[in-house]
Amino acid sequence: MSLTSTAGYVARRAAQRERVRILYRRALKDTLNWAVHRHLFYQDASELRERFEVHKHVEDPDTIDRMIEDGEAQYNKWRHPDPYIVPWAPGGSKFTRNPTPPSGIEIVYNFGREDHLED
Amino acid sequence: MQSIRISVLRHVRVSGSAESWLLAEKQNVLKQLSRQMCSSTVTCPDQIMDRVIGLVKKFDKIDASKVTKTADFQKDLSLDSLDRVELVMAFEQEFSLDIPDEKADKLTCCADVAKYIVSGAEQKVVEES
Repeated sequence: MSLTSTAGYVARRAAQRERVRILYRRALKDTLNWAVHRHLFYQDASELRERFEVHKHVEDPDTIDRMIEDGEAQYNKWRHPDPYIVPWAPGGSKFTRNPTPPSGIEIVYNFGREDHLED
Repeated sequence: MQSIRISVLRHVRVSGSAESWLLAEKQNVLKQLSRQMCSSTVTCPDQIMDRVIGLVKKFDKIDASKVTKTADFQKDLSLDSLDRVELVMAFEQEFSLDIPDEKADKLTCCADVAKYIVSGAEQKVVEES
């Protein structure tokens, strides 16, 4: 019984760690979206890090859950309406701009040297 | 323009005789050339590795002398999970990539990151060629 509850506790903590990691990652990216200049971003990023670090040693799983939910709610509230997307990523300005040609189409670059290639 | 010239020159130098190379591997010419042309985003694996290691060394929470190709970010370089998030974000910006959330957690050492970047770059070249 105690073993299963310990395993459950460990699993729960691991899931929370994952959620915090993803929340921090998204929040950090969002900070970059809101900051117009780099020097503003560095300040904002260290403030964001501070807010996470304050609760580093909280142990109670229920409190942590509440904090994560609070953090996610805040993140959703302040999400940037028009975030930066890497040009090649889905939604980016260069996404699928030059798609791969269908298979079976081949371009042969022989530069007028077909005779030399035969042998 | 200058960068294109440099990359073409480098290419010629590496391959020795450009002409025989063109004949030998005509299938790959476009792929190779386009990889060389956009040298800012797509470079050869060694260069990517150098850039990754340089970036990791510049990260302020890491002792630069400890950085090697296979040093684990968490164990050997004593970063916590949030530091690793910051590091992955630095990689994303340096190489203008979009690393998905679940993949970001699996990048544990410089060699991993370089491998991921190279694989992404090759995919991109195939898409664009």
